[in-house]
Amino acid sequence: MKKGDIVVLGVIAAVFILSIVMLTSFSKNGSRVIVKQDNKVVYDQSITKNNTVDTGSNVVVIENKAVYMKQSNCKNQICVKSDKISKKGESIICLPNKVIVEIK
Amino acid sequence: MFAKQGDSRNKVNIKRLTVYAMFVAICLIIGYLENLLSITVLSGVPGAKLGLSNAMVLMLVYADDKKGAWGVNIARIVLSALLFGSPISFLFSLSGGLASLAVAHILSRLKSVSVIGASMASAVTHNVFQLLAATVFMGVSIAYYVPVLIVFGAVCGGVCGLFSQIVLNRTKSKNMFRF
Repeated sequence: MKKGDIVVLGVIAAVFILSIVMLTSFSKNGSRVIVKQDNKVVYDQSITKNNTVDTGSNVVVIENKAVYMKQSNCKNQICVKSDKISKKGESIICLPNKVIVEIK
Repeated sequence: MFAKQGDSRNKVNIKRLTVYAMFVAICLIIGYLENLLSITVLSGVPGAKLGLSNAMVLMLVYADDKKGAWGVNIARIVLSALLFGSPISFLFSLSGGLASLAVAHILSRLKSVSVIGASMASAVTHNVFQLLAATVFMGVSIAYYVPVLIVFGAVCGGVCGLFSQIVLNRTKSKNMFRF
């Protein structure tokens, strides 16, 4: 490690803190759940409404003001392993099936 | 394009060609193995990987062969997209790969930054640009994910940088990058 490396690490730490500060000051509870497939909106409802959305390839569950991906027929299953989302701007994405769940 | 015998203008430097081909091949294999042994399960962060193929490119940057680094980097991105990826994953890794190499290139010109620092900075840049690409091409904001990816980039970049440093030190006397 040289002196410049410490500076680089410092800059990274600063960007990290800045991003956390910005996110926490902007994050609000979401109001609407939007499910898109191939860039087309297939579901757009309030987050307070408990529901299950089946896009054919993926199953999205909306429960107690939180949303998660219950099932997917994709190979990597990254979307299924993702955490529940509830805040405005959060999203779950299934890249192989081009399914996007976002909260607005 | 192979040179005719006696024509010295278009002569291909065999050693250069071999080293680059070897680097691209190693990058592809590492990338494939990283996809198989994804550390997603270990860390709980979807899509996270170590990025050792970036360490290979950084080695070329710090062996003072910037042109070679760009060539190997672009070749590995195109080939891995053709072999294992999709058009979308190609756009993702292209934006991440080009931006991160640009940062490494600039930092390597500063004498006080070693390959470890450059690796950390380029890994963080890679992650942030992939997120930007996701925002642009898929039209969603996943800004929420930025802090996690910054920490991951710094840690994985540090490990890769250390790896590059070790290999560079061991190959210094062997003139591997003298063409």
